[in-house]
Amino acid sequence: MPKCEECKNFFPWEDNPRKGDCVERAVDPRQAYYKAKPVNADQDSADCSSFQKK
Amino acid sequence: MGEPAISIVEHEKRQEWWWAAEKKRSSRLDYLRKAIWKKGAIGGLYPQGLYVDLERPVLQTEKARELESSPDPYVIKFAKILAHVLDNKTIFITDHSQLVGYLGSLPNTITWDPTLAAVLNHEVVNDPTCIQEPLEESLKIISEVADYWAGKSDLDKIMPYLDLDDAMKVLSGAIGWGVPLSRGGYSGKDYEYIMTGVHAFEDIIEELDRRIDEADEKAHEPGASKEISDLYDKMNMWEAMKIALEAGIRYAKRYARLARIIAENYETDDERKEELLQIAEVCEHVPAKPPRTLQESLQYDLFIQLFSRNEAIEGAWPARPDYYHGPYYEKQVNVDKTLTKEEALDLAGEFLIRAAEVSQYKVKWAREGLQGIEGTWVWTLGGVKKDGSDACNGMTIALLQASRLVRVANPTFAFRWHPKVSDEVMREVFECIRQGLGYPSIRNDPVLIANAMNWHGHPIEEARTWAHQACMSPAPCTKHGFQPMRMANATVNCAKIIEYVFSSGFDNVVNMQIGAETPDAATFTEYNQVFDAWVTQMKTVFSILVRPVNRARILAPKMTPRPFLSAISERSIESGLDVCDPSISRGNAWITAFTWVENADSLAAIKKLVFDEKKYTMAELKEALANDWQGYEEMRLDFVKNAPKWGNDDDYVDTIMLDCLHEAAKFSRELKCPSGNSWPILPENVSGNIHYANIVGALPNGRRLGDALYDGGISPGPGLDKKGPTAVLKSCSKIDHISDGRAFLLNQRLSPTQLAGEKGYQLWKTYMKTWADLGLDHVQFNCVSDEILRNAQKDPEKYQEVIVRVAGYSAHFVDISRKTQDNIIQRTVQGLG
Repeated sequence: MPKCEECKNFFPWEDNPRKGDCVERAVDPRQAYYKAKPVNADQDSADCSSFQKK
Repeated sequence: MGEPAISIVEHEKRQEWWWAAEKKRSSRLDYLRKAIWKKGAIGGLYPQGLYVDLERPVLQTEKARELESSPDPYVIKFAKILAHVLDNKTIFITDHSQLVGYLGSLPNTITWDPTLAAVLNHEVVNDPTCIQEPLEESLKIISEVADYWAGKSDLDKIMPYLDLDDAMKVLSGAIGWGVPLSRGGYSGKDYEYIMTGVHAFEDIIEELDRRIDEADEKAHEPGASKEISDLYDKMNMWEAMKIALEAGIRYAKRYARLARIIAENYETDDERKEELLQIAEVCEHVPAKPPRTLQESLQYDLFIQLFSRNEAIEGAWPARPDYYHGPYYEKQVNVDKTLTKEEALDLAGEFLIRAAEVSQYKVKWAREGLQGIEGTWVWTLGGVKKDGSDACNGMTIALLQASRLVRVANPTFAFRWHPKVSDEVMREVFECIRQGLGYPSIRNDPVLIANAMNWHGHPIEEARTWAHQACMSPAPCTKHGFQPMRMANATVNCAKIIEYVFSSGFDNVVNMQIGAETPDAATFTEYNQVFDAWVTQMKTVFSILVRPVNRARILAPKMTPRPFLSAISERSIESGLDVCDPSISRGNAWITAFTWVENADSLAAIKKLVFDEKKYTMAELKEALANDWQGYEEMRLDFVKNAPKWGNDDDYVDTIMLDCLHEAAKFSRELKCPSGNSWPILPENVSGNIHYANIVGALPNGRRLGDALYDGGISPGPGLDKKGPTAVLKSCSKIDHISDGRAFLLNQRLSPTQLAGEKGYQLWKTYMKTWADLGLDHVQFNCVSDEILRNAQKDPEKYQEVIVRVAGYSAHFVDISRKTQDNIIQRTVQGLG
């Protein structure tokens, strides 16, 4: 079962490596941007369509 | 073969200012301007491509559930919910941007706050336009969230404590709009405390810690008193403020971290990498510490605005951006030379764009009343400093220039004119008007400062700090002068006053007794009886709308607290009381008077045709109105054409207007807010003249049910001002703009052809001198030709960027209803000179 911390998009926090930011590139019809959302390092990412193994 | 390129000069000659702007602005501003997802509702519905953000309501609900069994008092729970959202929401950084932060999780989302009102939540549940696919899954989340907050939302909690009779009349939607909530209206800010570079979040947290420690010590010394009892509430309030501020600092640092991650892992362009690292540095510094640069100052301001809107739906954006950001501009551009004018212009333009994007889900009547925009973000420029000297600076000019480059319809500007404003600045103001932005509106600073002192007793130094609380009303930005919440439901659909004279207060549209049961108008034999009935109806309607606001202001500190807004307000930090507590506010309420002039024109028509000329009886007129003038067309035209109309320097009707205003002003002084101050009226409209068209019945000025009402304030009825611009100004100047009310909106249309070139500027300047000499407090201009507006109606795709002044705000012409479009075209184009 893959975990968020195994993903290329996962950037652990310095003060708490058990949590991190899931960072993704997104492009909508008007603009392009990077987005981030906090996730737990051991979060199950089996159903995540953005998962990319490190 | 494409069409040959058209030069900027040619575009300007054709008055295609939007195409000229696109070619003039930097590539960064061009990208960011085109990146905006327009959020203003069109026809009451949100534009395609937007959707309601479900992330935030889910976060709020999960935290609220978690805290259910917590012993924390409500204000602390509320602050923790706010912090949970800021800590966990998705954030993003748009390419080319230098300023960051948005309310929603993604650029095309509209945020929904389910904690405010069940009525709002029901609208989301039933919204056919902006629910994200997969629909079933989204609806399940929305229903769960709405179910959870049913009975727990602010309005649900407040309602049982309001007078039910008043509440039902307010909620009928016939005489007013808005709800009496401290988290749903227009929030002023204590900018003199938070935006002057002295205090930032870490300083305040330190102060709060000190106060909590002192109170804690005092509360546990031997003894007992009310003062000691009160300390427990104060400590809770201070603690909640601290939670909110700490969450704000963490939120900014999340952006700093994201900017560094992008720079170090994804970005390949060196220049952009530098910009991202700069963003990181900025967000590590503010809002924790006071800003050092223009970018930090703008970012700091933006964070404050976003945090406040995470706490409440704010329908307006009181601000004085040139005054508070100006010192950073001057230092960097003119003293240190660490920023070029062009770089500053980019930042100013992006600041406008970031504000233009802000969106919060609103009920449909609010969307209809604010066609094409998200709220009345009327930013205040110019004016005087506390010592009375000119406050204009380089940032004033940068913002005016930036607005012509990015051409957003919201925010708009209102310019505080005073005799010391330089010609350079006035030319910049004029250029925005000439280029068809519809803004800045012009405000008469000396008059409005005197007005603030007269109505609300602000000391002169405090009065001089004023910014627009919403479209029109001046409110100071000081510790005791600022108003933390103007609840919008003290907004009167004044045309109902004259309507109720003929129905003895019964509202035939919503089928309920709302006004006073005045005697049957058919029995009136003298004009004075009509006027007396009008005064009674005016007093009744004003009171119905003001009472719930007073009540909610008293209930707000305990039931609907604002820990973040309190945390940036000196008076709350000092006192430990919620910012809305009336005991720490000077009180500067006002009644917005929509659809006001219809009363004067109607009374004049009655006086002349019924009582002076005796052409009709009151019974006949009552019958004609009850039949919506059907079968009485000849009579109706008599009332339209042969009765004097406001705005033509005609003393017959102008005196009646003054009689109405004087009665309202007298009663305003009897109506008291919880701080003990008066409730003056402020005639203006937003697009209420269209919203209420089907709610106001036939009127004696010849209007039928469904016809658009006048465009508002003290503006004459469209096309009814037939004697030129000076006659309009003269009529308006008969009003005492200091003591007859809080402010008076005046719409005017000018010819773009006449305003061309230097001659155009000189003509406008002469007009403005007359306006100032006559002592009016406000004027705003539409300066787009009939030809362009008609073309935009025929071919909207080609004219997407045409902006018009609707009332207290501007909007893209294609985003407003056909009825409003026609109403604007119908306004008289005044020839100057």
